Amino acid sequence: MIKLQNVEKVYRTSSIETLALNNINIDVKKGEFVSIMGPSGCGKSTLLNIIGLLDAPSKGQIEIDGSPVERYTDKHLAELRNRKLGFIFQSFHLINDLSVIDNVEIPLLYRNTSAKQRRELAQAALEKVGLSNRMKHFPKQLSGGQKQRVAIARAIVGNPEIILADEPTGNLDSAMGNEILGILQKLNSDGATIVMVTHDEAMAKKTDRLIRLFDGTQVS
Amino acid sequence: MLRHLFKLIWNKKGTHSLLIIEVWAAFMVLFGVLTLIVFNLRNYLQPIGFQYEQVWNLELSSNQDTTELAPKLQRALQRVRAYPEVITASRMSSNTPFSANQIGNSVTYNKVNVGGDFYYTDTELAKVLDLPLKKGRWYAESDLAGKFIPIVINQAMEDKLFQNESGLNKVIKRDDKTMYKVVGIVDRFKAKGQFMSDTPGLFQILEKNDRWNSNILIKTKPGTDAHFEARLVKDIAMLLPGWGVEVGYLKDSRKNRENLTLVPVLIFLIVSGFLLTNVALGLFGVLNLNIAKRKGEIGLRRAMGATESKVTGQFLGEIWVLATFSLIIGLIFAVQFPLMNVFDLDKEIYIIAILAAVAVIYIIVTICAWFPSKQAATIHPAVALHEE
Repeated sequence: MIKLQNVEKVYRTSSIETLALNNINIDVKKGEFVSIMGPSGCGKSTLLNIIGLLDAPSKGQIEIDGSPVERYTDKHLAELRNRKLGFIFQSFHLINDLSVIDNVEIPLLYRNTSAKQRRELAQAALEKVGLSNRMKHFPKQLSGGQKQRVAIARAIVGNPEIILADEPTGNLDSAMGNEILGILQKLNSDGATIVMVTHDEAMAKKTDRLIRLFDGTQVS
Repeated sequence: MLRHLFKLIWNKKGTHSLLIIEVWAAFMVLFGVLTLIVFNLRNYLQPIGFQYEQVWNLELSSNQDTTELAPKLQRALQRVRAYPEVITASRMSSNTPFSANQIGNSVTYNKVNVGGDFYYTDTELAKVLDLPLKKGRWYAESDLAGKFIPIVINQAMEDKLFQNESGLNKVIKRDDKTMYKVVGIVDRFKAKGQFMSDTPGLFQILEKNDRWNSNILIKTKPGTDAHFEARLVKDIAMLLPGWGVEVGYLKDSRKNRENLTLVPVLIFLIVSGFLLTNVALGLFGVLNLNIAKRKGEIGLRRAMGATESKVTGQFLGEIWVLATFSLIIGLIFAVQFPLMNVFDLDKEIYIIAILAAVAVIYIIVTICAWFPSKQAATIHPAVALHEE
């Protein structure tokens, strides 16, 4: 489903060259729940951004669903992100000026979906994460856990095959974190492929496979 | 997407209220200035209606002399007409073309009362100014024998006073003692210059013993120069001792007159130019700041499937929506002008000014939003998401 071969990422400034990722080889199968772990600054988020086509590797190849994406145009990449990928972020990234349901509808704005259909799909996604009673609320009126559930609803509203979660429980207490992990496990059991970056060993152990990074290098 | 943008701006209306007011104020000022420009431009495009290039204005003032003014003025006129350099000459009231003087009154026909400019002249004015007649003829001295005072009116007066009827040979009333008969109709007579609107006007014949109207318009032959002017002034001064004698060229008077119209328009233009520049700079600053504050959102939208062009489109769309809010408020005020016929201007002038002001506002906001929006689109999604 997701294949990375010899991926390297170097950040260059005029005076410094930083190797963020070095020779990464990952193959995530369809329906797998994989977690990426490692200390701060080891390149976990960089790796997730590369998998999510938000950043390009300096070297190496990425394949999504068997297709190499290096030569994809901005339009193609955007379409791939919209159709195939769903993102969940540690800091939720909700738009405070939009209601919960409007936030969930965002990915559908970039598809040819009617307003009515958008509303129906967003309602269904919110029901899945147990927030159908908070649709008209604004993000500021929600707790951290509720915000993350909105973010999950937004990630799944377009029915993507892959969900990429960047420390989804990082800003939550353990009870709330377990609740979110439970939702992700449910989505995985429903068929979604999930790649999750986490700091939490206990959380990582609940996933199918663990990839460890250290100083930009894959250690397991 | 449009609905989404409206929702986004509507939910942030508190934050954007000052910006909305700023754009609204810019629209109102622009509407005012453009109304003035459209009004003057429309007038400018209409012909003035007469020839003035070779016409001089001989202004006579009797000063302390109070005896036999009418015969003296007639003698001066005869003298002027006798010069070989002069094609013809005509006496006229002080509201000669392009002068600052105005004589106004109103006339009534069938209970319709119309105000207009009154010009008192003799039988030669049409020849002096090459004033073509659309209907009828210019009055002659023999008309003075009639029961009614002969007059010539312009088309604007005919349209307003007689509406769908022809005004020719109709008798109209100024007051209970003064009745006029229309003997001719000219097309236009924009005496205050190219920028004057075509307002109703009326030419009334001067009586033979008239002593008050002491301007003589002289149509000179081409090539007549200042030597003749000096001779003319000297001769008339000798003919009318103690009188003031002054000669002005109508083409110079026209320039002065038009400058008087253009200067306020230019001042308004400069002031509104400054205002619009301020609005543009303000908008540019606010948008730049806005985009800097919304980097996380930009990254999120890119992650959710927005292309670079969609991000540019979104920020441009937001500013258009914002401008639309301002313009809706502005239009509520602006449409009152044509609806209530403010300043008695044609509705068309206001409508053109409204449309032009709307277009200028959209152009300004687009220019101001273009650069920050393009900048927003080029922010790398991974960087944008990381920066929040």
